[in-house]
Amino acid sequence: MSSIRKNNVTLMASAGRILLAGVLAVCPVANASAAGPGNPQNVLDPTQLSLEDLMNLQVTSVSKRPQKVADSAAAVFVITQEDIRRSGAASIPEALRMVPGVEVARIDENKWAIGSRGFNGRFDNKLLVLIDGRSVYTPLFSGVYWNVQDVLLEDVDRIEVIRGPGATLWGANAVDGVINIITKSAKNTQGGLVTAEAGSEERTAESVRYGGKVKDNTYYRVYGKYFDWYPSIDATGATASDGWHALRGGFRVDSNLTTTNSFTIQGDIYHDNFGETLTVPSLTSPTFASTYPNNGYNSGGNLLGRWNHSFSRSSTSLQMYYDRTNIADPTVFSDHESVYDIDFQHDIHLGESQELVWGFGYRSIQDTNGSSFTVALLPAHSSLNQYSAFLQDEVSLLDNRMHITVGSKFEHNPFTGFEFEPNVRVLGTLTKEQSVWAAVSRAVRTPALTEEGLQLNEGVIPPGAPPLNSPLPVVEAVFGSPLFGSEDLLAYEVGYRVQATSSFSLDLAAFYNNYTNLRSAEPGAPILAGNPVPSYVVLPFVASNKMSGGTYGIEPFAEWKVLPRWKLSGSYSFLRMNIHKNADSLDPTPDIPNGLSPRHQFYFRSSLDLPKHLEQDLMVRYVDKLPGLDIPSYYSLDLHIGWKPISQLQLSFGGQDLLNSKHLEFIPEFINTLPTQVRRTVYGGISWTF
Amino acid sequence: MRLLRPIIAIGICLSLTLGASAQALDSSDSSEYLIKAGFIYNFAKLVGWPQGAFAQPDSPIVIGILGTDPFGGIIDRILADKQIDARHFVIKRLKWGMDLKGCDILFIGSSEASHLEEVIRSLKGLPILTIGETPGFARRGCIINLIVEDNKVRFEVNLDAAKQADLNISSRLLALARIIPQPTADAR
Repeated sequence: MSSIRKNNVTLMASAGRILLAGVLAVCPVANASAAGPGNPQNVLDPTQLSLEDLMNLQVTSVSKRPQKVADSAAAVFVITQEDIRRSGAASIPEALRMVPGVEVARIDENKWAIGSRGFNGRFDNKLLVLIDGRSVYTPLFSGVYWNVQDVLLEDVDRIEVIRGPGATLWGANAVDGVINIITKSAKNTQGGLVTAEAGSEERTAESVRYGGKVKDNTYYRVYGKYFDWYPSIDATGATASDGWHALRGGFRVDSNLTTTNSFTIQGDIYHDNFGETLTVPSLTSPTFASTYPNNGYNSGGNLLGRWNHSFSRSSTSLQMYYDRTNIADPTVFSDHESVYDIDFQHDIHLGESQELVWGFGYRSIQDTNGSSFTVALLPAHSSLNQYSAFLQDEVSLLDNRMHITVGSKFEHNPFTGFEFEPNVRVLGTLTKEQSVWAAVSRAVRTPALTEEGLQLNEGVIPPGAPPLNSPLPVVEAVFGSPLFGSEDLLAYEVGYRVQATSSFSLDLAAFYNNYTNLRSAEPGAPILAGNPVPSYVVLPFVASNKMSGGTYGIEPFAEWKVLPRWKLSGSYSFLRMNIHKNADSLDPTPDIPNGLSPRHQFYFRSSLDLPKHLEQDLMVRYVDKLPGLDIPSYYSLDLHIGWKPISQLQLSFGGQDLLNSKHLEFIPEFINTLPTQVRRTVYGGISWTF
Repeated sequence: MRLLRPIIAIGICLSLTLGASAQALDSSDSSEYLIKAGFIYNFAKLVGWPQGAFAQPDSPIVIGILGTDPFGGIIDRILADKQIDARHFVIKRLKWGMDLKGCDILFIGSSEASHLEEVIRSLKGLPILTIGETPGFARRGCIINLIVEDNKVRFEVNLDAAKQADLNISSRLLALARIIPQPTADAR
């Protein structure tokens, strides 16, 4: 114990040195350029400037953050392009760490557990993720393959994260949150971009993008990227097998053919190779399990088209996409999914104070999979059809000071039939600077393919082992069931936003979620198995809906522009989960307080613009312990320094997790993949535009 | 002890950034909407409204912000105690469908893109300086459109629209503007 502490203090000191070096490196520049003692209170008054002067000013924040966020009756957080660049995040999961109320834990180099407001896990099934309107939530296990959800990060316009249900607009599965990754229009990515990055964890990453103009009002871009990550280390400090590398490419075309019609066509294609260490059950004595390094790959592609048309008082949008995902984990499971989706939406301004939105959609899912002793999914081929429609009306009252939104989604899926997800949201403007909102909504999480027809062998109890004393080996297995139904949520949310001064704002959201029919695993009658003679017993635990309970939490986020060039922001997330088995449940797993989610999280971030086009960012983050997994709490410190010596060139370098040499963040559920440690890393990068 | 380390870490970060920033201050950079508010103030100075547009010599200049407000409180703070000749500023937040005719300047937010033509049509013949910040707005009939290019704010002027509104735009303003050609037939 004492050696760990001592170790950490040394690390702390070395982190301090790295920091100091970073800041000292930029200080002489700062000294040289400051033309005398600056007055920190001297905020720019633009009315004292002429048009010519104003035209010469650099805009530092082109962020659109204040817009929609300020007048939505939901807990919304927007990650801007600038936020991504300045955080030094190398992937979308890493960028999500700055969102209040969201939990991001890395399992190994290529796997994450990401959740919103609880229920975190590698197979978290209550978070919906969309990239440019395309749902990337897999119908296989109702979760997200985070390692393939990637775009050129420089092309991201923003990531909008809504905590809490978004089911009325986005449908089933938008239970605890919706993440919308939105890329820039091709018009805004004209010209060339070449980037290269290397670091102690990311061996290499390169990307190329080129954008051009086809004709007036029609623009395109194409991109390609490649990256390769070193394997991390396991709990004992030995090199793990979790390296990965990936190649991706894609294009986007945006056209404003006429003033009332616009089109977008975009597509991506990718191939990832990943490694991991797997432990799978086996019937061979003496271990009845085998552990080995496993190499698999993910590949896929998608194509999306969208047509927007505006009328004088209304607008329509028609979107279609095809998405293909291949997973090949040769020793365990393979799966090929094809999703065809079509969506139509119509926004209508009705008179002075009403806005009506309605739409409908259809999704067809084709799945083909290959099984192993560990994982088997029946049927081997399935075809699902889902239909949906929604209607939502926003009414403005009291001289526009109050907005009421009422609506519902109506859906039909082949497992549970008809589902509806209504909500009521109220936004009130108290003063010009303050607003409050409240919402009550219902959301459902519809069953995934695995919850209907899976057999997952989790472990083997050797013959003769107490308390069973079975003469044959006993395989503990998780089974799906056609009787498994939807999980239900009734959510109550309130929020408050204030722009206290021109430089300080606070956004506060609180919620109480009441869940029913959550998934439990009920023991079933043992089955004798083996061919040709029975050689083992299967002890099934069958997916059922016998858990329920409540969660509540509060998530304040504050931003303070101390000076025009220095911004501090911070957030705290409190989450309390009280999920328990129903009285009639026989599920033997003990209830875990707070599940696999941290009770407390906070961060503090400083973003500073220095002269000579230098920028410096620091972020300190705290994540509470996960008692259910025996994972201790941790602090992390990230530093990023960017420098743009000329307008075409951007240099960046930084370090992540500078406070700890290594730490474990999560232990995955269901599939026994070896978790690896997150290490202290440094990186440097260069990007050139032309 | 467990809490001490992070507090020290935060302390170090803070003091370092503070130290660095005290050195670093100069005002050559600023936020987009602070700058845009400055543009609007300058436009108010450099545009001549026709006789009768203001009831009294000290009638305020009414600025309407239509749709989603990107300024937050910035524009109110900037213009709170400013006046041009004897005219103060009044800022109003407006939503599509409300009466826009009482404005002298109307800032049309990006949220109104889908029905911009109808907004412009409802103001036809009125001496209201329309200002947008969305690509294509000037071509679609907005008098002035602010655009951000290479992190600097530029603006376009639609002279035809200004003439229809009976507004006189000073040559100083025009010299810095990008003049947008007459709207073509397909914009109607």
